Amino acid sequence: MQLQYNSKSTAVKRLMREAKELSEPTDEYSAHPLEDNLFEWHFTIRGPQASEYDGGIYHGRILLPTEYPMKPPNIILLTPNGRWETNKKICLSISSHHPETWQPSWSIRTALLALIAFMPTNGRGSLGALEYTPEERSSLAKKSHTWACDSCGQISDLLANNKAKPMTKEESELINSVTFKGEDSEKVSKPSDQQKQEVQSNAINEEPVINNITPNFFKDALCSDIGMYLIYLIIALISILVARRFYSA
Amino acid sequence: MDSNHETTATKPEGLEQDELIIQQHREIEKEISDSILLIGEKEELTSLQTEYINDPVYLTKIQDLNKKYKCMRRARPDGNCFFRSFAFAYFEYLLSHNEEYKHFKERALKSKDELISCGFTQFTLEDFHDTFMEVVNLIGEGQHEKLYDTFNMQGYSDYVVVYLRLITSGQLQKDAEFYKHFIEGDRTVVEFCHQEVEPMFKESDHIHIIALSTALNVGVRVRYMDRGESSEAIAHDFPEGSPVCVHLLYRPGHYDILYSR
Repeated sequence: MQLQYNSKSTAVKRLMREAKELSEPTDEYSAHPLEDNLFEWHFTIRGPQASEYDGGIYHGRILLPTEYPMKPPNIILLTPNGRWETNKKICLSISSHHPETWQPSWSIRTALLALIAFMPTNGRGSLGALEYTPEERSSLAKKSHTWACDSCGQISDLLANNKAKPMTKEESELINSVTFKGEDSEKVSKPSDQQKQEVQSNAINEEPVINNITPNFFKDALCSDIGMYLIYLIIALISILVARRFYSA
Repeated sequence: MDSNHETTATKPEGLEQDELIIQQHREIEKEISDSILLIGEKEELTSLQTEYINDPVYLTKIQDLNKKYKCMRRARPDGNCFFRSFAFAYFEYLLSHNEEYKHFKERALKSKDELISCGFTQFTLEDFHDTFMEVVNLIGEGQHEKLYDTFNMQGYSDYVVVYLRLITSGQLQKDAEFYKHFIEGDRTVVEFCHQEVEPMFKESDHIHIIALSTALNVGVRVRYMDRGESSEAIAHDFPEGSPVCVHLLYRPGHYDILYSR
């Protein structure tokens, strides 16, 4: 028990530090731990300028594993945004699907900056990613102002005018190389060994591709749409043929 | 485009298999790691013999090691074993070398600003640094047992590993011109650090050992126990020629601590 307690205490210390660091809301993001649970946070981010999310404000949850910061946080968006499904864990290369790429020197702030930077990229092919039109996304961005969180209230009040701290060299390097993808929560495989993450799921997308999104454009598109439909079609055909044979005999 | 259909159509299933294999791999790793202390108690080298009972090559080398070393400590095989073994062996050495302890403490204190200037995020770095210094200060208290217990607390022990990983990364980046020649694959020193040095649970290679021992100016002797012809486990010193204060045993994929006679 001693071991567990102490392992926790470095996480607690670290999260207290992060809570202090993030105590002032900025114009780009804000985040705070829930009053009764330091391992669950709520965050608010502003949609990046010059994108279809411009003007949007998005709210969500961050679930932290007990091993944090040795293991990565999980992010769940709550505000409809047209980019990711709500109430589903999303998966960046700094997420629990690829713990080997998470680095303990990253933080909640790093994860939020990466999330904002990744919003305008194309989520084609990855599960949990939504293929809304720019118009639909823009209209969701406008509507997002009236969205309210049960525990945090009106989310448009949660960001401030203060400029966020400039990114460090480490952060900007990360943001250039990060890849997010949706998580397939229906394909739950096995319970995870972490208390905070109830399930580990399978991802059906490519491994995170570092600085290399365009070359996979066609592959991903095919994989997600035509390819999958083809498989379903073939499976359906085979089952019809089998059934016919079965019944005619 | 048609040919693309086939390759991409099978991909999801293949990936699912991969994910399952990775998952299983992780579970096995977890099982192993739960059963072995982060840093074990001292034990006789003869305890190695039972692992290689049918292996004359290894047995000969264990016999030779037994002449040179009086005992060993095992480290948990979780990918952090080099850093954890190094840290514990060196801190233990410092317990009985007060002058060197003072030097090291000074160096460790200075390392914070060096790493921040290297581009690491200040407030997370401070978090690691402060906890690292807490453990370093235990050496000053001179209590071996307390140091040992701390190295077996997951949180503190991992923080020491993280900080040494950052020091290693800092050294590689500082001397990138030199180290870039040793990096395999088409990647820069910075990419290598992000992929192979900074993340936890990533195993260490020569390049990690060279960078860390150079950064801290601590002599490390690694005894390599492998299938080589020689009747002894060959020694390599890092950095070459410096006085040795940390002795490690390498078996493929793993490091433990050795104590010389």
